[in-house]
Amino acid sequence: MADERESLDRVARALAEPRRREILSLVRDEEMSAGEIASRFDVSRPAVSQHLGVLREAGLLGERREGARRIYRARPEGLAGLRDFLDRFWTERLERLRLAAELEQQRRKTRGKRRDGRGGRGGDPHRRKP
Amino acid sequence: MASAETGAAVEVETRIAASPEIVFEFLTDPDKMIQWMGRAADLDPRPGGRFRCDINGRDVASGEYVELDPPRRAVFTWGWEAADSLTAPGSSTVEVVLEADGDGTRLRLAHRDLPSAEVAEKHRLGWQHYADRLATAAAGGDPGADPWATPEGAGGED
Repeated sequence: MADERESLDRVARALAEPRRREILSLVRDEEMSAGEIASRFDVSRPAVSQHLGVLREAGLLGERREGARRIYRARPEGLAGLRDFLDRFWTERLERLRLAAELEQQRRKTRGKRRDGRGGRGGDPHRRKP
Repeated sequence: MASAETGAAVEVETRIAASPEIVFEFLTDPDKMIQWMGRAADLDPRPGGRFRCDINGRDVASGEYVELDPPRRAVFTWGWEAADSLTAPGSSTVEVVLEADGDGTRLRLAHRDLPSAEVAEKHRLGWQHYADRLATAAAGGDPGADPWATPEGAGGED
């Protein structure tokens, strides 16, 4: 769980920087070398290298070597964390829903017993409302 | 509690020791909804009616009810409200199906129409879109009792 969170944080941080999003757009449909990517931006080569490193560590960028060159391409599957996040969100919500609904069921059973001395099984729970 | 993913959807399932009638009320009654999700809810449970839930005092989920078949099925659309959000409210769909199971209820929730990586790739602003969503996701990073109850420590919004 902690690893997942860290991974999601890394992706969010990587995407928070506009230039890194531009880099991803550049290599979305075609591979490019670090040099080609750097030539598109008005920043130093080391700065671009750093962006590439952040994107790669977040799993959003694939890297392969061709001789001395490093070739990059976007990895959209790096976004799988989004679904994991929603999965976790709903799992946690439903656990709370379960507890709240079960408490409500107990409350109505108890109320039913007090009123007519019967157990709370079956019947329309709405009818037991005071 | 079990969960699975199929296609561009998230599916979660659980069993509740309460009748489907009672569980259904927790999907349509604002006072009951905030017992399990959000701090405030503004609900108009009829097709086309408002579904709005303030999750933590800052992140607001909103959409509208699409279908209500008490106590069996509720469908509503879902998105995040924020001035700069590119994830429009109502852009995805949540379906909740309740099935009597002994003296309890089997609940299945499916969150569908989630943006897929392919869609994002084709979308000019696709990456920004995900950046927004993931920034919200990062807000769930606090492992406390209910990381969604407070906006503190949250990243940007979706």
